[in-house]
Amino acid sequence: MKNSISQIKKALIEKKISVGELYDEYLAKAKSGNNNSFNLVIDRDNNISSINDSQNRYDNGNPLPLDGIPLGIKDLFCTKGIRTTASSKILSNFIPNYESFVTQQLLNDGSIFIGKNNCDEFAMGSSNETSYFGPVINPWKNKNSQKDNLVPGGSSGGSAAAVAEGSCVASMGTDTGGSIRQPASLCGIVGLKPTFGSCSRWGIVAFASSLDQAGPLTNCVEDAAYVLNSINKHDFNDSTSSNHQREDYLVDINNSFEKKIKIGIPSDYLEDVSDDILNQIDNTKKALSKHGIEFVDVKFKTTEYALSTYYILAPAEASSNLARYDGIRYGVREDGESLDDIYLNSRTKGFGDEVTRRILIGAYVLSAGYYDAYYRQAQKVRRLIKNDFQRILNEVDFILTPTTPNEAFKIGDKLDPISMYKNDIYTVPTSLAGLPGISIPSGLSKNGLPLGVQFIGNYFEEKSLLQLAALAEKELSFNE
Amino acid sequence: MSDIDIKRISYLAKLKLPSEKEEFYSNSLKDIIKWVDNLKKVDTSKTEPLHNVTEKTVSIRNDEVSKSNSVDDVLSNAPERAQNFFKVPKVVE
Repeated sequence: MKNSISQIKKALIEKKISVGELYDEYLAKAKSGNNNSFNLVIDRDNNISSINDSQNRYDNGNPLPLDGIPLGIKDLFCTKGIRTTASSKILSNFIPNYESFVTQQLLNDGSIFIGKNNCDEFAMGSSNETSYFGPVINPWKNKNSQKDNLVPGGSSGGSAAAVAEGSCVASMGTDTGGSIRQPASLCGIVGLKPTFGSCSRWGIVAFASSLDQAGPLTNCVEDAAYVLNSINKHDFNDSTSSNHQREDYLVDINNSFEKKIKIGIPSDYLEDVSDDILNQIDNTKKALSKHGIEFVDVKFKTTEYALSTYYILAPAEASSNLARYDGIRYGVREDGESLDDIYLNSRTKGFGDEVTRRILIGAYVLSAGYYDAYYRQAQKVRRLIKNDFQRILNEVDFILTPTTPNEAFKIGDKLDPISMYKNDIYTVPTSLAGLPGISIPSGLSKNGLPLGVQFIGNYFEEKSLLQLAALAEKELSFNE
Repeated sequence: MSDIDIKRISYLAKLKLPSEKEEFYSNSLKDIIKWVDNLKKVDTSKTEPLHNVTEKTVSIRNDEVSKSNSVDDVLSNAPERAQNFFKVPKVVE
């Protein structure tokens, strides 16, 4: 079992290890690079002042909440003075002059960045195979075909693989339609997507602005609460950042619930799923029933429309957001005789196949004559999906679903985009509704690969969601 | 669904698809548009579009002057610059 943030902090306080030694330990693993989980690793020399400052705070007996903790950061967060590429050729030379809001909070709380995690190009993908820097390899192997390299999921695949292989204590990811929860599930770790509007999007390379949300990938639920405490703050620089009162997510996390809890299981999610997946739901149900938690069947009316809605809205927003990459102000420029040629050449050569495909879908659904039929209709259906979730969350406290419809698959196995998109069938609806969701490891498949379950809570109720996830985690006692 | 004019769409997106890839993207786009076409059967005659999912009021900050990026910061990633400007080929004859 890997060490949790509280265990590591205890060892640092008791001087069993120094901040520098801790950093070196994780750095060595990150540098070995067997799974291609980092686009960039930061040498100790370049972090030496942070390491020394952190050690001084421990020596003086006043460490910060995340002091000295080595974190991975998805290469989608702008990090001041550190190359930020979104795993795209077009940004492969980009060095931001500013720090994203979320990563700044992590630095303020004393954490130290070990490197930038590989991800799908512009976070578009569910297998981390669209990265300009090559696919990430899942640290887990199928016990019946050990030699096959498997995908870690995506788009935060490098983050998930890095936490699972032990090259960082936790990693910051982003989730637009499942990009934290799905890779967490396929790599056997915890992934939390907070409520939309909880964590500022400022300084995160934009994919789909009405859906993008930052969140942690961690070894345990308590670690997710540690990171959430740091990053969940209002920010004026993001107009969708909510200014509600935040809670301390660590307090009460291990307490049992005072009131009786009811969890809904959407039966329509479980039609035609494999025994492996059904077992995850059954195990979780059994484990939590011991604590007097009641399970009821719930039925959504909009599930069959969720993926269609998402694959109109997300590409539409992406097509607008990615209009900024023109080869003029930053990023890679390709030569051209006229200004227009520079635009065309830089964009055509700078974007990979999947990003190009999504820009084209977006341009199509936003174009004259199709806007109302596709884009506006999808925005309306999105409201129906949100209403559907609200109706169900009036009847139950939480919703339990599988995180993914399958275990990790072989790199190169899914070539057809639609079959790839279907990987996010259980995570996309939550994203469209803007609700918080957490994936925790729940067991192994017949092939010995990790699988996860997702708990969905109500808006801004991450505190009780984490409490439930911590209880389930303890009962399911997932171990490698 | 009408036919997809891949040349027009790619021009709208400022992309110049190599001719050997036009069919690949055109077919892919057709498949996806066909796949999402099921939304058309949903009755939304009484539904308003949803833009911001939490529908929290946008918070307004005080209009105070603050120092952010310098000219050098802004230009530091420019592929080509000339003095305090981004440099591009001549656009006006």
